[in-house]
Amino acid sequence: MPLAIAIFAGALAVIASERVDRTKVALVGAMLVLLTQTIDQEHAIEAIDFETIGLLAGMMLIVRVTEPTGVYTYLAIRAGQLARGRPLGVVASLALSTALLSAFLDNLTTVLLVVPITFLLADALDIDPIPLVLIEIIASNIGGTATLIGDPPNILIAGHTGLSFSDFVVNLAPISALAFVVVTGLLYLFFRKRLQIAPEARDSVMELDARKSIEDVAEMKRTLPILVVTLLAFFVHKGIGLEPATVALTGATAMLLVTRQSVEAALRGIEWPTLFFFIGLFVMVGALEETGTIEEIANGIGSVTDGDRTAELLGIAWVSALGSGLVDNIPFTATMIPVVEQLQTDDADDAYWWVLAIGACFGGNFTLIAAAANVAAAGMAERAGRPIGFLTFLKVGVPATLVSMILATGYIALRYL
Amino acid sequence: MSPATIATAVRRKVPLLRDEDTVSDAVARIAEADVPALPVVDADGKLLGIFGEREFIGALFPAYLEQLGYAGFVPKSLERQLEKRASCGMEAVRKYTNTEHIDVGEDHSDTQLAETFLHHRVLIVPIVDGGQVSGIVTREDFFRALASRFAEVT
Repeated sequence: MPLAIAIFAGALAVIASERVDRTKVALVGAMLVLLTQTIDQEHAIEAIDFETIGLLAGMMLIVRVTEPTGVYTYLAIRAGQLARGRPLGVVASLALSTALLSAFLDNLTTVLLVVPITFLLADALDIDPIPLVLIEIIASNIGGTATLIGDPPNILIAGHTGLSFSDFVVNLAPISALAFVVVTGLLYLFFRKRLQIAPEARDSVMELDARKSIEDVAEMKRTLPILVVTLLAFFVHKGIGLEPATVALTGATAMLLVTRQSVEAALRGIEWPTLFFFIGLFVMVGALEETGTIEEIANGIGSVTDGDRTAELLGIAWVSALGSGLVDNIPFTATMIPVVEQLQTDDADDAYWWVLAIGACFGGNFTLIAAAANVAAAGMAERAGRPIGFLTFLKVGVPATLVSMILATGYIALRYL
Repeated sequence: MSPATIATAVRRKVPLLRDEDTVSDAVARIAEADVPALPVVDADGKLLGIFGEREFIGALFPAYLEQLGYAGFVPKSLERQLEKRASCGMEAVRKYTNTEHIDVGEDHSDTQLAETFLHHRVLIVPIVDGGQVSGIVTREDFFRALASRFAEVT
């Protein structure tokens, strides 16, 4: 057992240090637990959650095929123009469109689509783009909390528990919406001096021709209906007896049939490093389960809380928020899922999963390394000549996480205690 | 068509840029040398990469353009923002140097050059001998030599 813990803890530390690519670390960790016979190959393969892998791969393909049509660029430009150059409006429309896109696409994809447009809008409005990018990162993590497919921790939880898309929306969308409004409002107040827009610059943003951002109208007409049907199917997947991964992969297959892109080009949209990161992670967590470590952690938590449900629910939420900030919310959630399963004495008591989802997703705002979207946005800002440092992010990330978690604590108390 | 002759025939000796040269100086020397790019070296003469037309466009236009992937919707009025970026002329050329590994050795073949031009979308390939740049081949020269040979054999 100590070997499984040592390998996992070592891997987490290296991932948090960001010195080695996280996929390499996860795969090395997985190989080490296999080579040391901490887990045998059969159990390692069983530990891989193919529901999660399938859902991620399906959504990556759907986004890859629809993205070159320019439809997401169109939405981002229109959002920027809706505000007609008023600072509060610009912040509200960009943050809201980021949060909504994040709820239905993954956060990483959303950030990759929205950040370049934000730099362009900031250029047109002659303002500093960094406050807008920071607000978008925070909005993306909060918006992604609302649905099953919005954020990797939720995908992991759904893959393990079988909770439906509607269950996620009903339980997480209200707190996601509340946290979005409060945190975005506070961030606007914090940044408002840096977001002053000169009257003459206000019109320039209206000169962007959003319609021209649709690069391929025919391809959009072919693929957009499939995207809409797939998203609608998520809402009713339980009713029609289909798992989320089946819905995503069916949508992706339909996209491949109608798109004019080659299969090779479409498949290049699958982020293989992310999928292999998950696979390595599942095998390492499988080794922790196999060796009884997870049970011991759960027993340890149980002895601290003395089985008190209130303490357990609030403890899971806050520990997840802080833990996700220090490590990365994906490995943290993967580790916590079997722990929470042990703590959950009544299988029908889903509150344990909702507090884990809230903590892990909101915790994604804690530090720059807490979520993949944060790292990606910082990378894009750096390439654009405006790097976002770890401390710069911390100044908004920590207050944003604390405020959203305080709101979440009230929500949990009202709804689940 | 002998494989060695084309590469040898089109090789040029050119001045080198230092990594601490300013972008403005670099652009002037590229124009003077009448080539699309020049090799950039460090204080010891070691090749760091190349700086040329593409890199200058990258320095002058906002970096997010490359991330947009498509810019058909950007109005001409935004081009006034270019004035803000004129200050890049005083920046060190190392900031914009293309550091892709594209150099070839003295014993390079035409096929190696063709592969480099195809895969790296660069306008010149530096030739390195014992760690020092001994010359370059430009894509245009390579094309002209190829076209000339092609005409001879067909």
